Amino acid sequence: MTQRVVVTGLGPVSSIGTGAADFAAALRAGRSGISRITGFDPTGFPHQHGGEVCGFDPAAWLQRISTAKWGRSSQFAATAGRLAAEDAKLDLERIDRSRAHAVIGTTSGESVVVEALTAQIVADGFGAMSPDLLAQLPAGRLAHAVSEELGLHGESVTLATACSASNYAIGYAYDLLATGEADVVLAGGADSVCRWAHAGFYRLGALTATACSPFDRDRSGILTGEGGAVLVLETLEHATSRGAYAYAEMLGYGVNCDATHPVAPDRATIAECMRIAHRNAGVDPSEVDYICAHGTGTPANDLVEAQAVIEVFGERPPPVSSIKSMIGHTMGAASGFGAIASVIAIEQGFLPPTVNWVHPDPQIPQIDPVPNQARPATVRVVQNNGFAFGGNNAIVMLGSPR
Amino acid sequence: MSGYHERYEQLREIIAEVLEVEPHELTDTGDFAEEYDADSLRAIEIVARIDKQFKVEIPQSELPELRNLKTTYDAVARHAGWQD
Repeated sequence: MTQRVVVTGLGPVSSIGTGAADFAAALRAGRSGISRITGFDPTGFPHQHGGEVCGFDPAAWLQRISTAKWGRSSQFAATAGRLAAEDAKLDLERIDRSRAHAVIGTTSGESVVVEALTAQIVADGFGAMSPDLLAQLPAGRLAHAVSEELGLHGESVTLATACSASNYAIGYAYDLLATGEADVVLAGGADSVCRWAHAGFYRLGALTATACSPFDRDRSGILTGEGGAVLVLETLEHATSRGAYAYAEMLGYGVNCDATHPVAPDRATIAECMRIAHRNAGVDPSEVDYICAHGTGTPANDLVEAQAVIEVFGERPPPVSSIKSMIGHTMGAASGFGAIASVIAIEQGFLPPTVNWVHPDPQIPQIDPVPNQARPATVRVVQNNGFAFGGNNAIVMLGSPR
Repeated sequence: MSGYHERYEQLREIIAEVLEVEPHELTDTGDFAEEYDADSLRAIEIVARIDKQFKVEIPQSELPELRNLKTTYDAVARHAGWQD
């Protein structure tokens, strides 16, 4: 028998707020988390802004793992996991730990650690690498940080499917729960602002200067961002048995890969991914009230994503907004933040806005990006998009709890 | 004259390396995309190497102009202020 899956906890650690309440208030206010980068010295780069979690203080949240032994991305993951577990009022002493799993997505893993080690090699040779930093390097530790912080004995898996990785993680969590393999899964993603992503996206011509403006006619690219986004997913049975509050039900998901071009998105495959997700969730396009877009703010992504939406939904698609306009592109955490925003949209009855939006794009007049101001709405079903380089697409469907 | 010839051959080498062909296989007007299978990422790599080697800054908007060795040389010469 297939188990129903519900969302019972939210753990955002973002540039616009830490914890579900702060993050929700920021989304509603359309707050921007963009500032001049301090994680590395951006002097010399033509563009110097990003979405950093300023004043991130993991020690204030973490109970079991030591910040000295874990890299920044793992600390984001573990802190987000701790917040999500607390938000779910999950009594870790009373659950079956062997049936509690952690699945975390990422793009660049411990990128800040990689850069620190690289600097040591460049300065003083291979012998100069710090053993402590080397121990923090493996990207697989992102999920382990969550497992160790919470004492979870189930699977501990990091998925490196880049910018759709959180949706992949949430999809895998859904499988573990729906098939009865697990009671609880902490799922989401984490990444850190780093020079390598900033430089790479700049060189690709995909980085904008100070304000990311998805679906705007004059959009000119992304801003790199960071953070940790983790959700507590549970079987309905498990949630009910412990008297937990369900924010939303996870209805299903879809994944596919076009495997054609390293960076150019493919409309047909993205549209097909939407159909797969709808089929898996048992949802008709007409039932979708809101699309939480991948919406990176590059000319190519937003056009192709919008065209795929129109292909699947017709000339009058539901509102499509991008929270990347507020927090930048948080890479492996991006679709996790999207999933959290989707759950908040359902729970609190509003659509998060696309800020920095000025001009309609005449190529996609059908798209309503919820410009600049949050909008009250009854949200029953949300489609949360996540697309990655290589054409690796993952879409999660969430609905109001029944 | 020698300056021109030297720079032109240097550019040929740089581009040939990115396109993974021997320098003598890269003709003056052979189209990077059609004849050497380059895509937009290769074009960006070519620009990145040119920027570094010749200390110029070719704007992203001029990428479409860089179709072959000759038009690329002209673009670099324009930005570097070379008087051939």
